Amino acid sequence: MKQNLDKHKLSNGMMLLGERMEAVESVAFSFMLPTGASVMPAGCCGAANVISDWIFRGAGERDNRQLGDALDGLGLQRSGGVDSAHISVGAALEASNLSSAIDLYGDIILRAKLDDEQFAPARQLAIEGVKGLDDDPRHKVMLKLRKQFYPEPLGRSTAGEIADLEALTPETTRKIIVEKFNPAGIIFSVAGKYDFDAVVRQMEKLFGSSAAGRTKSLKTGASGGRYKHIPNDGAQVHIGLMTPTVLLQDKNYYNARIAVAVLSGGMGARLFTEVREKRGLCYAVGAQYHAMKEAAGITCYAGTTPDKAQQTFDVIVAEFNRLAEGISEEELGRAKVGLKSSLIMQSESSSSRAGSIAGDYYMLGRVRALDEIKAEIDKTSVDSVLTFLRKNRFKDFTVVTIGPREIKVE
Amino acid sequence: MKFKSHKLKNGLTVIGEVNKNAKSSAVGFFVKTGSRDEDLKINGVSHFLEHMVFKGTERLSPFAVNEAFDKTGAQYNAFTSEEGTVFYAAVLPEYLAEITQLWIEMMRPALRTEDFNIEKQVIKEEIAMYKDQPSFDVMDRCRELYFAGHPCGHSVLGSEESIDAMTAEQMRGYFSQRYAPNNMVVAFAGNFEWERIRDMVEAGCGGWKNQEVKRTITDTRGARDKQRLDKANLTREHICLMSPAVSAQSDKRFAASLLSVIVGDDVGSRFFWELVDKAIVETASFDFAPMDGTGAYCTYVRCSGENTAKTMKIIASIFADLTKAGVTEDELIKARNKVLSAFVIKNEIPMGRLVDLGFNWTYLGQYRLVEDDVKAVKAVTVAEINAILKEYPPGEFAQFSLGPAKNG
Repeated sequence: MKQNLDKHKLSNGMMLLGERMEAVESVAFSFMLPTGASVMPAGCCGAANVISDWIFRGAGERDNRQLGDALDGLGLQRSGGVDSAHISVGAALEASNLSSAIDLYGDIILRAKLDDEQFAPARQLAIEGVKGLDDDPRHKVMLKLRKQFYPEPLGRSTAGEIADLEALTPETTRKIIVEKFNPAGIIFSVAGKYDFDAVVRQMEKLFGSSAAGRTKSLKTGASGGRYKHIPNDGAQVHIGLMTPTVLLQDKNYYNARIAVAVLSGGMGARLFTEVREKRGLCYAVGAQYHAMKEAAGITCYAGTTPDKAQQTFDVIVAEFNRLAEGISEEELGRAKVGLKSSLIMQSESSSSRAGSIAGDYYMLGRVRALDEIKAEIDKTSVDSVLTFLRKNRFKDFTVVTIGPREIKVE
Repeated sequence: MKFKSHKLKNGLTVIGEVNKNAKSSAVGFFVKTGSRDEDLKINGVSHFLEHMVFKGTERLSPFAVNEAFDKTGAQYNAFTSEEGTVFYAAVLPEYLAEITQLWIEMMRPALRTEDFNIEKQVIKEEIAMYKDQPSFDVMDRCRELYFAGHPCGHSVLGSEESIDAMTAEQMRGYFSQRYAPNNMVVAFAGNFEWERIRDMVEAGCGGWKNQEVKRTITDTRGARDKQRLDKANLTREHICLMSPAVSAQSDKRFAASLLSVIVGDDVGSRFFWELVDKAIVETASFDFAPMDGTGAYCTYVRCSGENTAKTMKIIASIFADLTKAGVTEDELIKARNKVLSAFVIKNEIPMGRLVDLGFNWTYLGQYRLVEDDVKAVKAVTVAEINAILKEYPPGEFAQFSLGPAKNG
């Protein structure tokens, strides 16, 4: 598969990555700032969310409104968000506006105004977001599940905690920004139609003079308990469950991905077949691989009416357990072609590529070529997947439910 | 890009836009049937039928269908709206013929009673799932309130009662009336060989019988009622407003679409600056929903109970100002840039292109190049937007709210 990767490191350690795509007129870029939920100081859960809003409320010479107008004027399709390790900010746009957009983001990252009067609404929006989750049990159950599953601080809610948010001040938040916006930990990526030399020159000019700081490594503590139920008098019981698995950098990573695809890669996969097609227990059921740099798991969600909740849970766990008993060549074949097709189809989208190359660099310290990923997928066999599964059984499920009824978790 | 089209003797239209540079191909069957075409006694049948299409044919079991898709790595699904039912797949080019053949077969489903009974449980779970998503639930309820008896107000999912009462026989009757070849379009986008695909559709679908298919099309300006429902487990106020707008066939649809970005885009819009930026609401949107022969604007906001009155006052003043003073040139320029870049990015991917291709043919009976739509967006003036604001004032809305007891 033809692929054009670009790479350059600024003297202060900031990494620039690029992937040129011949067939598109658009470009997408992303800055991954090492300021995610897990690196916030204790008692500041949600600060990353506030920061990701506050930095857009005026930067450089522009006030809040002028900055918003300037971004809109370029027709940016903004993207971004907060995860455990990073705040990501970026956009997709028509290629001719890239340089103007990068200038604006340089201001946002290095010269945000961080005015006191703009802090209150940024914090209030974060609080509103957390409160809004109470009316969105499907989303909430997965946030609670990660908190329960991952050792502290990895699983911290990316939305935040109300008490911490209410206690947060502009001074504390400014201090966090100064400490954490370390250029050596920023990963910049661009994909689509662009001139890498020009991008490097511009980035050097904007970011080259900011000195590198030090990124501390994370110390992790304990995770939550095995089962947590949150009562809610809604229509369904929302079930989230998670079990540990290997990291992206592990030699068994592709075996794990195949196992998850056999379980839940498509409508012909086991969970959909057993839970929905044969028994009519759910509309939504599915499992996914979920990785951080320090820990990884397989997450599973199902939503079902209270009378069917226990059976749904039991069938799902039985399917996780049954994987190690054997998989067929046909199942392996479907899993492989599914993973490879989605890889190729994602490679048509500039936003998706910009996200992938930056994610790879953060997790692995390098960008995997698409051909390498395809070759690794091809290398897996029924034997390799089963050997992996038998040595790394899916067990020790962490479970969270939200709904009118609890379930029994063995 | 090369556009191709072909009409079979039974009225089935095949269209395709070939892009040899694409890494994937997309195929879609666009059936012109949705909840607006249902008798209320069988409300929800279009959507239920969409599920049943995946349950296979005389030759294929439900499991065989799923496995046949999965073994090509296809990204496939279907959706049903008030207006249409669309079945689609995006695949690597080497699998397009195989997947097209599969869809052709599936478009003549077995509709077995035993599958119908199991799937009924899944449909009822889907209804329950959306009850736990108040942002969806409130829009569904507002739509019914606004359309006040007009068929576009029919629920897509139907109710637990209508689904419980439905029989497989009734569904078979609906299928035979609505899935006629002259009531659907097959569309292709991306990297594919037109002649081969066209011949395949001709051979596979040429034997289907056409018949007279009707849809009642009347415009409506909707009702202006206001309702609120308490739900004990909710914590926020969810508000939906609907007001009249131009139809999917109107030349003014580009102006209406730009207006919706000016008023309610998630950043930089009037709602954003007046409501979200100031943290009065958590979220606010204003969408243009063009339909066959009619159209509506749809507002959704989520806020705390104590901010509800203030929020409604601000929205009323935004709407009043729009109708009185109109939008500005500066607002139009920004909205245009945003609409154009979103449009170009979406159309770079065959699956994104397929949707526009299929709907343009379904609603307008015409092929439009990406460039045609870009031109049309660029041509919209402030005066045109201000004229539709006078003709369709957004302040004349129906309102439905969902929230905890004792609020608002």
